[in-house]
Amino acid sequence: MNVEEALRDAMAARVAGVHAPPSLGQAVRQRSRRAAVRFRTAGAAVLTAAVAVGVPVALTGQPGTDPVAGGLAGPGSGAGAGITTKKTAAPVETGSGDTVAVPEGVVPDVVGKSAEDVMTLLDDAGYTVRIVKVVTGDAPEGTVIAQTPSPGTTAPAGAAVMITIATTVVSTSDTAPDAQTSWTPQDLGDLGDGRTLGGVHVGYLPKDLEWGKWSGKDGFGTESYTTSWVEPGLEPGVYSVQMIVYRKAAASLFAKRLRGYAGQGAKPIDVDGKRAYLISLSEGGDEINDGGTRTITWTLAPGVGIEVMMSPDYEAKLGRAAADRELRKIAAGVALDR
Amino acid sequence: MTDEDEAAFDEFLAARSTALLRTAILVCGASATDAEDMVQSALEKVYRHWPRIRHDNPEAYARRVVVNGAISRARRRRVIKEITFAQPPETPVESPDLGLRDVLVAELRKLPARMRAVLVLRYWEDLSEAETAALLGCSVGTVKSQAARGLARVRARMENLEGVSA
Repeated sequence: MNVEEALRDAMAARVAGVHAPPSLGQAVRQRSRRAAVRFRTAGAAVLTAAVAVGVPVALTGQPGTDPVAGGLAGPGSGAGAGITTKKTAAPVETGSGDTVAVPEGVVPDVVGKSAEDVMTLLDDAGYTVRIVKVVTGDAPEGTVIAQTPSPGTTAPAGAAVMITIATTVVSTSDTAPDAQTSWTPQDLGDLGDGRTLGGVHVGYLPKDLEWGKWSGKDGFGTESYTTSWVEPGLEPGVYSVQMIVYRKAAASLFAKRLRGYAGQGAKPIDVDGKRAYLISLSEGGDEINDGGTRTITWTLAPGVGIEVMMSPDYEAKLGRAAADRELRKIAAGVALDR
Repeated sequence: MTDEDEAAFDEFLAARSTALLRTAILVCGASATDAEDMVQSALEKVYRHWPRIRHDNPEAYARRVVVNGAISRARRRRVIKEITFAQPPETPVESPDLGLRDVLVAELRKLPARMRAVLVLRYWEDLSEAETAALLGCSVGTVKSQAARGLARVRARMENLEGVSA
């Protein structure tokens, strides 16, 4: 048997038992709805900075590893301590109460369970939970209908697990606003034109957008604020442009993530005299990814981080160049609210 | 997207998704579940552009997205950790060549991601050198040299093994 044939045979044997599951089409379609707003992330978000630079993932969960991760964690913020204390013995910083050592684990199957149970389950397992909601009549409201990564996949503690939660459409005639938005938080109440939140004012938005009529507080770390603006008529839970304001503890995590982008080779651009990154981000927001969500992110003032993302659908509508122009204009118009 | 587009996408999946998944496993050297996650993400891109690409060789487009995704994932994984390459339970245990197959697959896995992709596309997907080059965005010369070097390494391992068992 010559080498080509032997190799062909070996490859065939390797994948002979592999078949794409019938649910693949459904999974792909659900994934493509990721234009849905994200309003919460929780759990060991402190590790996202480590994930972004790649190598320290292998180091976490191994007690007694050298202080490399501590060095990456940056100047002694409380959140920096989160990384080091996870590795139990590291004596560098002891400020954080989060001492749960979570080894690399297997992502559980959470599809079909109630969203609240699942959030607790994933939080306990040390994962960062990201949520999208999808309007569907096929599943009871509040149940998880999809997850990424798939069950059984191994993922390190702190990795983002995205769950898709079913929500139902309420017919417009007898709309009870609370029913329609029961999975969309209204943490900040009526924001009026929706342009001022978290002590930050948004001076410019593309003309065709209006406030998405929801807002979230602390979903992206303690003292974070988020809301979105939509093209009129978009289905509930979907955004065109979403902004997150990071302050206090959330801001120090944000700053690490920003450094992670530089570590991945992102080149800063200038926004109103400040260094910003205009990049495409993976689902978890940690990793630069060509097919990801277009995002502009920068530090507006000491302790105030801003992230503005554009949904892939809206970006596709505008085209990349125009989308980037709009993101830069939005960013230039963001200022501290006085 | 029209109903007809949706139906055509389902047909496309029925016809091609298993092949794409198999290619992804071979190129990135991951487990079936990891590869499935990756194929899902690649197919999402296909789905996103479906109305535009469905009449223009969607299979080639999908394969390119899957293979490029698999290469970058394989590279990323290399940094994070080596993957356990589990023996699939379906592999017939009575096969006399089981040992050889294992060795060759393991050898394939040791190759650089791009070289491995060339071998998979040439000898698993049966693409021509020109097709492989177009898919990977490199020259035919690169495909030839990468295939030759990859095959040489696999051959050396195979001869070594046969030498021992003979």
